[in-house]
Amino acid sequence: MDVALSRRGAWLLRAFFALVVAFLYAPILLLLVFSFNDSALPTFPLSGFTLRWYHQFLTNPDLQDALKTSAIAAALSSLGAVILGLLAAIALVRHPFRGTGPVSALLLSPLVIPFIVFGISLLLLFHAFGVELGIKTVVIGHIVITIPYAILVMMPRLQQIDVSLEQAAYDLGASRLRTFRSITLPLMLPAVVSAYLIAFTTSFDEYAVASFVKGSTVTFPVYLYAALRFPNQLPQVIAVAVVVIGVSLLVVVAAEVGRRVAERRLGELEG
Amino acid sequence: MTSEAEARASTASPAGRRRLRLDLTAPTLLSLPVVWLVVFFVVPIGIVAAYSLDALSITNGPHPVTLTSWRNLITGDAFLGHVYLALFWKSVKMSLIVSAIIVALAYPVAYYLALSGTKRKYVLLLLLIAPFLTSYLLRVLAWKVLLGDQGPINSILSSAGLTSPDHPLTLIYTQFAVMLVLGYIWLPFVALPIFVSLESLDRRLLEAATDLGASRLQAFVRVTLPLSAPGVFAAFLFVFIPTLGEFVTPSLVGGTDGYMYGNQIVDLFATGFPDWRTGSVLALFLLGVVGALTLVFARFLQPRQVATD
Repeated sequence: MDVALSRRGAWLLRAFFALVVAFLYAPILLLLVFSFNDSALPTFPLSGFTLRWYHQFLTNPDLQDALKTSAIAAALSSLGAVILGLLAAIALVRHPFRGTGPVSALLLSPLVIPFIVFGISLLLLFHAFGVELGIKTVVIGHIVITIPYAILVMMPRLQQIDVSLEQAAYDLGASRLRTFRSITLPLMLPAVVSAYLIAFTTSFDEYAVASFVKGSTVTFPVYLYAALRFPNQLPQVIAVAVVVIGVSLLVVVAAEVGRRVAERRLGELEG
Repeated sequence: MTSEAEARASTASPAGRRRLRLDLTAPTLLSLPVVWLVVFFVVPIGIVAAYSLDALSITNGPHPVTLTSWRNLITGDAFLGHVYLALFWKSVKMSLIVSAIIVALAYPVAYYLALSGTKRKYVLLLLLIAPFLTSYLLRVLAWKVLLGDQGPINSILSSAGLTSPDHPLTLIYTQFAVMLVLGYIWLPFVALPIFVSLESLDRRLLEAATDLGASRLQAFVRVTLPLSAPGVFAAFLFVFIPTLGEFVTPSLVGGTDGYMYGNQIVDLFATGFPDWRTGSVLALFLLGVVGALTLVFARFLQPRQVATD
């Protein structure tokens, strides 16, 4: 007998799980259907198949600029977050000291601040020092909010790596930088890549903080937010939504599969 | 120098001198990330505090420090009364309802994944979490389409003759719409901490309970539920904290009925009639409440540790 679940209980829970998954995916599938619907209004009954909306967004320069701006902001901010996060992770794991607790609390605190409060704080900071708002201020904000994710993803991996590998390299005369480059970094690579991906997707999707410090820069979420308020742009935005959601689902699955493959290989390597 | 560094220096004699230098690297490594967070995270909050006390202001010239705005928030403004606190309370209620409902929904889901013995639990977990990792705004968009006056739900209702096309069911621009969308957005995420706490549960405890004559229900109520409580608390906080200060979802699907505390803060910083002092007070008040909650419940935020205490 199973101690956690009766047979009927297991069946009921499976049905419930299926219902919840259906609830989560139904709205997304509905977007997929409407993205091919030949009507300016997303309403039933459907009025025929069209690729018009996809064509429209592919030829919409404003939208493409917004996507490009977000890609640049996300690429830069996730690079910043991964570098800063990596420095912090190495310090916290390899060189623990008395102040580790408060320092890691500081480094992780952006996780719990309401984004609206952080957005306003940054706005007031830039205002006080006369910094012009734009893509660089968005990048600064996104680095702050993605540093905790980068640290949380990379720290466990660093803890798994046997410190004697690094010591061996060091004892054999490799410099600290060389040790890092040829031992630590390659072993950490899967975690570094997933930290980068997480930071990238977070930044690419971030609206709340960006809305305060964007100035006149239009990132993709900023474009979406504006478009959501004008119904005539809706079908196009739905088509974009389908593409973006599809790509991000692919990235999620690819990252997960990649992580598992890499971990298995590393496991074999370390025996 | 730490004792650990001393120990390492004395055991590894040839490399000892170099090891000593190695341990100086903690401050070097941490300097950049810490400075970044102090300059772009801690100092800005200090500046908000300065604005809330009128030590800094959008109008030029020196200002005496004043607690007026704080007093107005707590004891009520001469003109506005307790409008901000009332709005805060409304947002607390909305967030509490959303958090409670989706934690209750996520619990059986997490229970199924962690304890049913299904072989594909990580694949199913990924299936559950994946929507959370796609665009936030686009998931709001999906509901904006669904709930619209001429949207799919209303067009089905009217073609079934349940409502007339001229009087669609008012779904969008309501408090209900805001809570539904927030629940939809956070549901996959809250399952995670509950799953972690259930998965680390030692099944032998359940076997012991059964052997001692407990029914499955008794074992659940007296063993599983208490041991997964930290995960439940963590899940609750993970939704409650971000939804309390939410302003994006209510501004897109909430209308005036779904207007939340966060929208009020945004409006005080908007271009129309900006009032940065009051806005700063409201923002810090929110931060204070969230910070207090985090401190009080911090130990629940590491479910594994507590579960093994």
